[in-house]
Amino acid sequence: MKGASSPEVTPLPEIMIMPSRMLSADTTEKLLNKLYEVKNVRQINCQGEGLPDMVKQGPAAGIPVNHPERKTINVKGKETQLTILVGRVFVEIDDIDHVQIALKEIEEICKGLLPFGFDLEVGRYSKFKPTTTDYAKKRC
Amino acid sequence: MAKYDRQFYPGTTVPAKNRKRFMDPKIKLEKLRDVAMDDVVKILGHRQPGEDYRSIHPPLEESNEPDCPIRQMVTPIEGAKKGDRIRYVQFTDSVYFAPIIPYVRAWMYMTRFRGIDTGTLSGRQIIEMRERDLEKVAKELIDNETFDPAKTGIRGATVHGHACRLDENGLMFDAWQRYRFNAKKGEVEYVKDQVALPLDKPISVGKPMSEAELKKRTTMFRVDGVDMRDDKEVMMTNLRIHRLRTLAGYQPWEIKGE
Repeated sequence: MKGASSPEVTPLPEIMIMPSRMLSADTTEKLLNKLYEVKNVRQINCQGEGLPDMVKQGPAAGIPVNHPERKTINVKGKETQLTILVGRVFVEIDDIDHVQIALKEIEEICKGLLPFGFDLEVGRYSKFKPTTTDYAKKRC
Repeated sequence: MAKYDRQFYPGTTVPAKNRKRFMDPKIKLEKLRDVAMDDVVKILGHRQPGEDYRSIHPPLEESNEPDCPIRQMVTPIEGAKKGDRIRYVQFTDSVYFAPIIPYVRAWMYMTRFRGIDTGTLSGRQIIEMRERDLEKVAKELIDNETFDPAKTGIRGATVHGHACRLDENGLMFDAWQRYRFNAKKGEVEYVKDQVALPLDKPISVGKPMSEAELKKRTTMFRVDGVDMRDDKEVMMTNLRIHRLRTLAGYQPWEIKGE
């Protein structure tokens, strides 16, 4: 653990994209690939509604769901299994000074790909340093 | 004294008027589609079309029920006469201007149907009923204006999705994907029954309504539609109910002068 005199960890800024609709796998793929082309993007996290591969309860338990949006997408040449219907995208920018430029570029990308509307916000939405629970559960 | 005419719901705004219409059993609801009875039976998934109804007791005619005034007063519904099982159907209504919402469903069921047991949850409404009567009621509810193929779901379990944003086709989220959008026909098709058992062939329930049409038919007050605060009579009634409940619990008649 760091001492009391250690500098505070500064969280990197994130741009949150909140589309007005849940995104299909195709749109997600296009959006992520375009976002990774934006300068100073460090990493991207997605959040959304879970798409189970199997029905887990009831008379249909064990039967595959076969949701058409639960498929493998190609992001930056890497095959990625999509297990959610994407509802929010968090784009982490490597420095606070680069946020405004990135924001403009991201807005243009979103205008082209999300015709149903979207909101953009700047903030920090995900964990950027280990929590007490992480220490307690020895995850760090 | 003037004859009391039941109003069902206060207010003058579109959702208030629709609530009144849905609840008033004298008003025949508009039929927007005609899904075949066999298809309704398949979506419900309680029996195969053509299969006999299973019973839990002998027909009332054959059983020696003791004579009592309640039995004389209440005419049994068809399924009760035959001794049918109790089965269920459950509808999920999206917050994005679904034509009806669970609480209004409960009120409507109470005024329009007999022999039901219904339960309200935040996004869904279950009806339990004798099987053959349930099938008729389910067909009526799928065919009429309270149902929109995209914003209403028939879901026995894993109903999550009523408060999620819609997908790109305008359909309410369903983790079990019981229905899908057929882009060629522009229609919504059920590919699974209400508990996600696959159907032998897709069942079309028609085209989704446009947003403008939904806003005309909805019973939902929303700030981006009709705000409940814009309907003075609805607000007055709700505040009165709230006040009486706060002051007197379940005995509002005990409060004088309110």
